[in-house]
Amino acid sequence: MKRSILTLVALATLIATILAGCCPSPATPEPTEPAAPEPVEIVLWTKEGEADGGLQFVQALADAYTAENPDVTFEIINKDVETLREDFLTAGLAGSMPDLLWTVNDHAGPFTDAELIMPVDDMFDLSKYVGSALAAAELGGQTWGVPISNGNHLMLIYNKDLVETPPANTDELIAMGQELTTGDQYGLVFNQTEPFWLVPWLGGFEGSVFAEDGKTPTLDTAAMVDTLQFLYDIKHTTPIIPAESDYDGADTLFKEGKAAMIINGDWSLGGYKEAMGDKLGVARIPMVSATEEWPRPYTSGVYFMLPEGLEGAKLEAVKGFVEFVTNEENQVKMISELNRLPALESALDAPIIAEDPILKGSADQMVVGTPMPTVSEMRCNWDGMKPEMQAVLADTKSPEDAAAAMQAAAEACITDLE
Amino acid sequence: MEFLTLDVILNSLGEVGSTVLYIFVGTVILEVVVYFLWRPLEVFSRLIGRMLSPLGNAIRHVISTLLLVGVLVFTVASVSVGVEQPPPPWAPYWPLAVVAFLVGAFVSPTAPKIFHWQMRLPYMLFAPALVGLLVLVIYPLLWELNVSFTNLNPRHFKSPDFVGLQNYIEVFTAPVLKQVTFFPVFLRTILWTVINIAFHVTGGMALALLLNRKLRLKGLYRTLLVFPWAIPQPVACLAWRGEFHFEYGFVNIMLQRLGLPAVQWMTSPTWNFAAMCITNIWLGIPFMMVILLGGLQSIAGEYYEAAEIDGASGWQQFWNVTIPLLQPILTPAIILGTVWTFTNFNVPFFINQNELETSDTLVTALFRSAFQYFNLGDAAAFAFVNFGILLVFAILYIRATGGLKGATE
Repeated sequence: MKRSILTLVALATLIATILAGCCPSPATPEPTEPAAPEPVEIVLWTKEGEADGGLQFVQALADAYTAENPDVTFEIINKDVETLREDFLTAGLAGSMPDLLWTVNDHAGPFTDAELIMPVDDMFDLSKYVGSALAAAELGGQTWGVPISNGNHLMLIYNKDLVETPPANTDELIAMGQELTTGDQYGLVFNQTEPFWLVPWLGGFEGSVFAEDGKTPTLDTAAMVDTLQFLYDIKHTTPIIPAESDYDGADTLFKEGKAAMIINGDWSLGGYKEAMGDKLGVARIPMVSATEEWPRPYTSGVYFMLPEGLEGAKLEAVKGFVEFVTNEENQVKMISELNRLPALESALDAPIIAEDPILKGSADQMVVGTPMPTVSEMRCNWDGMKPEMQAVLADTKSPEDAAAAMQAAAEACITDLE
Repeated sequence: MEFLTLDVILNSLGEVGSTVLYIFVGTVILEVVVYFLWRPLEVFSRLIGRMLSPLGNAIRHVISTLLLVGVLVFTVASVSVGVEQPPPPWAPYWPLAVVAFLVGAFVSPTAPKIFHWQMRLPYMLFAPALVGLLVLVIYPLLWELNVSFTNLNPRHFKSPDFVGLQNYIEVFTAPVLKQVTFFPVFLRTILWTVINIAFHVTGGMALALLLNRKLRLKGLYRTLLVFPWAIPQPVACLAWRGEFHFEYGFVNIMLQRLGLPAVQWMTSPTWNFAAMCITNIWLGIPFMMVILLGGLQSIAGEYYEAAEIDGASGWQQFWNVTIPLLQPILTPAIILGTVWTFTNFNVPFFINQNELETSDTLVTALFRSAFQYFNLGDAAAFAFVNFGILLVFAILYIRATGGLKGATE
């Protein structure tokens, strides 16, 4: 009996302790200590891959920064663009985000919607960066990324062994492409799976993915139908492109000399220059003959984005690294190593840009580009366009039906967002 | 490879090692707590039992059930979905829920039996698994259930709103991806399962019959045939995807050498589905072959001798001796294969590189809805619908095989 009473007392104490959890415990003041430099490790997610030297470039910058600041070390993780977006949202949900992102501007839309990144206006002197690069990271009157490079745009890249003068318009492109498409060689290749490669042509056919308000999808238009018809034609009616080609397939065909021309972005220039040397030529994507308009590839750039909640020594380290990467010396290094146009205004004067025909071609293409929308509705447009573009290319849907379907999908997606 | 340095490897090993250590220490503490708590719990449950005996068992059962169900509802409703979602107004009353749980447990007339000291060892053995299940299965499931009633998506990420059954209604009325609706995906998944299982069983049976004969180098053939099973599925799928490449893939190169046109395996909906099936058939035959070979070897030779004396042909022997005697092995193997194929993620996901909606099965559609389009609320409801379908499968499986007989009898 004595034992039972003891047991009951023990249990009562247990319950009392649990109940005590109801009441807030008196707050104890945190002892304040003088800030000492503490070692920090920055987990950096980058969209730069190993194939075109981007990842190596990021790693070299991180190593150089660590050499100057031994307290700051880096863990650099490469994720392709879409995976980076998906994983960052998932990490946000789980509350385990990386410390710094090196990614493209349109991620700012979903990330700001989800309140996962913070504005950088008050942290950096943004006046030293190129205005158009900054504009592509602005949303709601605030800037959400520090630009690293300016561009990220598609252009026509050609093999000088096969193409003497690049085609000026689509009629020439098709005529030249048909001549060059023989056996296992193609006139033109590009990634046929992503609508990022459709958008320049849409611009050329005088279309746009959004109405003037910048967020109402305008995908079911005559311009989109014409664009899809054009893509269909260059695959089926006057074939100048492979029956199937994803990014890697197109890239390999071009590098192996089995494709005369490729439409690819500035990120690929470094790799092509290394693989092809003097044979490499860069020009604008040919003008659309029917409209006499230049295709308008999206321009943006690559940006640092800072996850929400970053503070203390880590924030300071991140800020230091961002300044380091975008200083003039490293921007010029990026121009020569990765062939990308700089985001730092003062680096634009670097003689290498005027002297290098590849960079000149890239800059010339950028002039007719259009800033890539940052709003999260753009995500709905991308997801809506992707399956329909593929269906037209696979000849399972007419351009008219595909345009209507992509509009419906984008609208449904935006309704879901609200 | 240059990024996989010794430091990185050591760091990873350190992380894994410390996690294992934490789990070990946690388990020891848990065991000690159960060991020392059991006796007081037994005494307490008897005391309560004696005090409440005038109430009668029926009333005690009712009270206990009501309290425990109440605690369950409280728990489900208290799991917060968003990172910054304010806790529900009832959250501060959680200690009451703990008390209600304890009362519910001890009021039950079966409490003295559960907390009998002889049950201490079973509960000690069971406790780590219970904690594991609570943390890794029950909690995520409750969280998911809550998500399915909200509009969790990037616009409502940190504090989503309650939307009731809307997500469940939309599973059946709106596209689950961009264009495709639920029922076509469901029917495709059934078609995918039927095609695969048919080939797995016939292919596996044919190979098992061949290997069941007297054969030179039988061991070598068997090893080679089991090979696909030994390769991790994602690796096998990525290798196959490479082979289906339009320009550089082995399949198209062979087709062209034979004078046939190259096939658009990645963009044509029909051919992409065919590519998925080919890959999965290649992956699944070895399992069926091994199982059926085991079955064939257990059939005594006398049956065939007797059949031969009766003048039965080879086909008649197969149909009247082999098949009936293989039945007890064939049924569970087919049902297991069906569940695996129905829920297979790797093959439909990796082979469908271009993300064609015409190739998606229920599980890949669910994955895309959740982690590519981030409609997490919709996806959670979709997941519970899938869960319901699989539950029916599982029940059929358990009924057909009597898989739980040993545990329940």
